[in-house]
Amino acid sequence: MMNTTIAKLALQALLGRRRFYLLLAFPVLLIGLVGLVTALADGDAAWEIVPGLGYTLVLPLVAILSTSSVLGPEVDDGSIVYLLSKPVSRYGIAISKWVVALGATLAAGSLPILVAALITGDSTRALALFVGAAVAGTTYSALFLAISAVTRHAVIASLMFVLIWESLLGNLFSGIAWLSISQWGIRIGHEISDQLPDPANLGWAIGASLVVTAVGVWFAGDRLRSFSLRGED
Amino acid sequence: MPVSDLSRPGVIHDLGYRHFDGVREGTGTIARTLFVTGLRHVFGLGRSGKSKIMPFVLLAMSVLPALIVVGVVVLTGLDSLPVSYADYTNQTQLLVSLFAASQAPVLFSRDLRHRSIVLYLARPLPGAVFALVRWVSLTVALWLFMAVPTILLFAGAMLSGLDKSDQVTAVLKAVVLQALLAMMLAGIAGLISSVSLRRGFAVVGSVMALIVLAGVVTAVQAISADQDADSVSVAAGLFSPWTLYSGIADAWDAGIDELVPVDGAWPLAYVLVALLLVAGCLLGLVARFRKVGSR
Repeated sequence: MMNTTIAKLALQALLGRRRFYLLLAFPVLLIGLVGLVTALADGDAAWEIVPGLGYTLVLPLVAILSTSSVLGPEVDDGSIVYLLSKPVSRYGIAISKWVVALGATLAAGSLPILVAALITGDSTRALALFVGAAVAGTTYSALFLAISAVTRHAVIASLMFVLIWESLLGNLFSGIAWLSISQWGIRIGHEISDQLPDPANLGWAIGASLVVTAVGVWFAGDRLRSFSLRGED
Repeated sequence: MPVSDLSRPGVIHDLGYRHFDGVREGTGTIARTLFVTGLRHVFGLGRSGKSKIMPFVLLAMSVLPALIVVGVVVLTGLDSLPVSYADYTNQTQLLVSLFAASQAPVLFSRDLRHRSIVLYLARPLPGAVFALVRWVSLTVALWLFMAVPTILLFAGAMLSGLDKSDQVTAVLKAVVLQALLAMMLAGIAGLISSVSLRRGFAVVGSVMALIVLAGVVTAVQAISADQDADSVSVAAGLFSPWTLYSGIADAWDAGIDELVPVDGAWPLAYVLVALLLVAGCLLGLVARFRKVGSR
């Protein structure tokens, strides 16, 4: 299913010019901030930043940026029709692009969270948060890929999901944990270290993450199958 | 081809199809029209139905809590609003930032991306004025976005008979602070969208500058206040528009309480940094549009 040429092109689109610096800015910012706070105050004060800012804000933003870089520009300028006119399975296109976006999310989102959490000291909780971040990063990138195959305003729609549904409403209503990708990741990390909260059922968290990932990538392929170009509104 | 206006050479007024010798409106009228069109476009008015969804969904979400607050005040007969006018904007800052980030590309990216900017600049409107008018449109739109729930809260407070002079003072302070905040947000989001022309990247860039940076600064402020480094905490507030807003509101007694009170000469520094930020963004915008216009 995986097509190496498409993956290579997606990787080039991702690493091209300014986009790369924007993607790089997030991990640098996170690790720099955590390092600074650890040096000036102590590890436990800095730890608050990692799940609070890194996990809930930086990870989804990196996922949004990388998924929209692999699919967004082509949909934007219409050059995706040249790709779609080739005799390659649309699901194969979706999977190849998703693998690249996933790699970028893990490298620029989950890995810096591990590094930042290690700086604060306790390596068990760092590993727990990393596992959570890897699961959440995988699920996020599949969901956002599906969103970018549906609408031109994918970035804003994804941002609204993360900022308004997961952060704003998630803080007000604890029940949203059952429908929040970041909380599923936290729940899986809770199995390794109980310094992370326990917002939902473990079976549900694993099942829901798997289902959203699989359905997200399948749905992106399905949307590409019946893709139609529209003008800007 | 007849040349109708020799005083402004190089300006396309007379395309040669039909002669016009009526009164020609000056730069002022063009700027005013551009301002009104820009303001309408931010809210999706005069654009397709789909582009009205985002601004009005965000507006509805920022008005809804105000309606709930008013309902609670009226039904339970509280003698003051549970949240002050300035603090309400601070509490809904996610929505305001998202509105700025999502709507700034409408005014600042589209003309540059599709090169329709050359058509605007072919008229007697300098690139610098174009940039400034666009910024004014976005500023007024953001200010309206924040003022609507504020006015609703105020109306609710008046109707339920709260003390009139207190409420009027508080609402006036909030409106002035919101205007300053709108100037900063419009400058930052506008500058980012005019540099980064791909819609998605402009939005992520603005979100980073408005939401992520505010989160970082707030975290640093909380940690340094916790470590008893009070002046570090106050100084950190200089680095994000939202903490500048809440810091000035704290110093001006407008209903926001910071962890560490902003007093002494700090309020002056906050105001100066806010004004410098606006001025810097405007200079950047003018330089950007001058450069694009001369190509």
